[in-house]
Amino acid sequence: MRSLDDVIKNKVNGLYYGNRVLLPFKAEILKAIIEKNIITDFSATHKGAHCTIAGNYTEIYFLDYVDLSDEISKYETIKLVLVEEGKDIFDINNHKKLLLHLKENHQLLIQEATEEILFIE
Amino acid sequence: MKKGVSILFWGILLLNSFSGKLFATQENVSGQAAVPVSAVQFIPSFYMIIPFILLLLMIATGPVLYAHFWEKNYQKVSIFLAMIVVIYYLINDQMHSLTHSLSEYISFITLLGALFIASGGILIRVNKKATPVLNIAMLFTGAVIANIIGTTGASMLLIRPFMYLNKDRLKPYHIIFFIFIVSNIGGVLTPIGDPPLFLGYLRGISFFWFLQHGWYIWLPSIIFLLVLFFIVDSKNDKSIEKEYSGKIEFKGLRNSLFLLIILLSVFLSPSTINWLPGLSPLPFGIREIIMVIVMIASYKFADPDILTLNEFTFDPIKEVAFLFFAIFATMIPALEIIAFEAGKLKEGLTPGFLYWTSGGLSSVLDNAPTFLNFLGAETGRFAMDMNNSIQVHQLSIEHSIHLQAISIACVFFGAMTYIGNGPNFMVKSIAESSGLKMPGFLGYIVKYSFPILIPLFLIIWLILFGG
Repeated sequence: MRSLDDVIKNKVNGLYYGNRVLLPFKAEILKAIIEKNIITDFSATHKGAHCTIAGNYTEIYFLDYVDLSDEISKYETIKLVLVEEGKDIFDINNHKKLLLHLKENHQLLIQEATEEILFIE
Repeated sequence: MKKGVSILFWGILLLNSFSGKLFATQENVSGQAAVPVSAVQFIPSFYMIIPFILLLLMIATGPVLYAHFWEKNYQKVSIFLAMIVVIYYLINDQMHSLTHSLSEYISFITLLGALFIASGGILIRVNKKATPVLNIAMLFTGAVIANIIGTTGASMLLIRPFMYLNKDRLKPYHIIFFIFIVSNIGGVLTPIGDPPLFLGYLRGISFFWFLQHGWYIWLPSIIFLLVLFFIVDSKNDKSIEKEYSGKIEFKGLRNSLFLLIILLSVFLSPSTINWLPGLSPLPFGIREIIMVIVMIASYKFADPDILTLNEFTFDPIKEVAFLFFAIFATMIPALEIIAFEAGKLKEGLTPGFLYWTSGGLSSVLDNAPTFLNFLGAETGRFAMDMNNSIQVHQLSIEHSIHLQAISIACVFFGAMTYIGNGPNFMVKSIAESSGLKMPGFLGYIVKYSFPILIPLFLIIWLILFGG
């Protein structure tokens, strides 16, 4: 199983298909920002976002979208605040801010948010 | 995004094609009379205000009560409600009102769009520790700049640096005070500051009249808001200990030049430059064409790294484009009824009445046509013609208190709601896309506008217009 650090360091891409995002590591999602929608409820199965950990990856369904590539422009990102599985969720230092860029061929570029990016947890 | 834009395009095209008949008779649509004489004579049915009220209600309740539906369908709802009014006016052969509103909408959205896109390619970063004093300095700077590049330009240029400065302690009140000060009240000193003042300038009010009659209201109002902000911000002790370079970074010189072109082209109107040809019967002029060219160029030639850091997206301007398309269309009957009723009042048009009514309407209507309708009522009351610049100039000298009441109210009250002024909505969208949860339409009014702005507006009224 890949760790989040490995994914960032080795630039391992995730995947996206339609409204489904696949992250190549296991994590608990705390907050997702997609366009101007701020999602913190991941329990729903009919609106917002639904998140599950399966196999060695994490998948998120953005239920208000049909196809993410239709809505997210090339300069936009999906922002996630998450904690890697196995780490203490209550330790704020373990909260990671990620930026997901949609690329061609369903590839999802995963980057850690830098200081340069406006990203409010 | 593409689908949404095409809906708006077809909506405008439909309105435009229906307007073809009018184009033969309308004279110099761009920059001409806000309310043609025949439009004032036609009094629409009172029921035609319903689409406008419905639109306002949906803007207020949609994102809160039925967010999913609203997000997916606000474009269709906007076009549908606009078309009810369009069809009503077509049936009643009142094309001039429609085309006039269309030309104002095109001017509005091209200016807003050009400023939005050009400023999206500019990056300003203040790498200092955010303190209430530094924030006040930035907000005050924004209030001053709003008079040079307009409230929209100042908002688009400064909202991201202001958020970035406060990124570790950012709260909704930061954004709301920014909307109050930079996006609205700041821009009352020059005609460039806010569109209604510019329309007044085009009609004959001198450029410095607004500064002369506004500074002593502007300054205490800005100080009042800054003091309140300071008190609130001083209680925000959320900060992270880290090192700051102390530098102020500025990138995007090319787009700054585009911004300059936009500001200069604001004056490109046959009303201000006699030799400039109008494009009548088209519902836009050379100015709007330049705006569109600048929009394309400033996006195409912008530094991709800056666009990425600004997370540039067309969504905020798309939302403004749709909602204000519907607002510009559905408010036509409301404004015509107001103009008619105001015309009957004559002596009842006291400065206090003008202040509260033009202000109240500017809170939810676009303030530019509101300003013009009240200017029209005022000129009519003194047997003057709003389209005669000498007479409007005379009005501004002889009855300055009335004009002052309208000007101040139209600009200041725009801060009352998210839809009171174009940049309010865009600033909100930018804040939300960075992860900051903003209050809804009603939350903004109840928690912030009423407790903060209404006392300020009451004081202004009591001191200046209450007598």
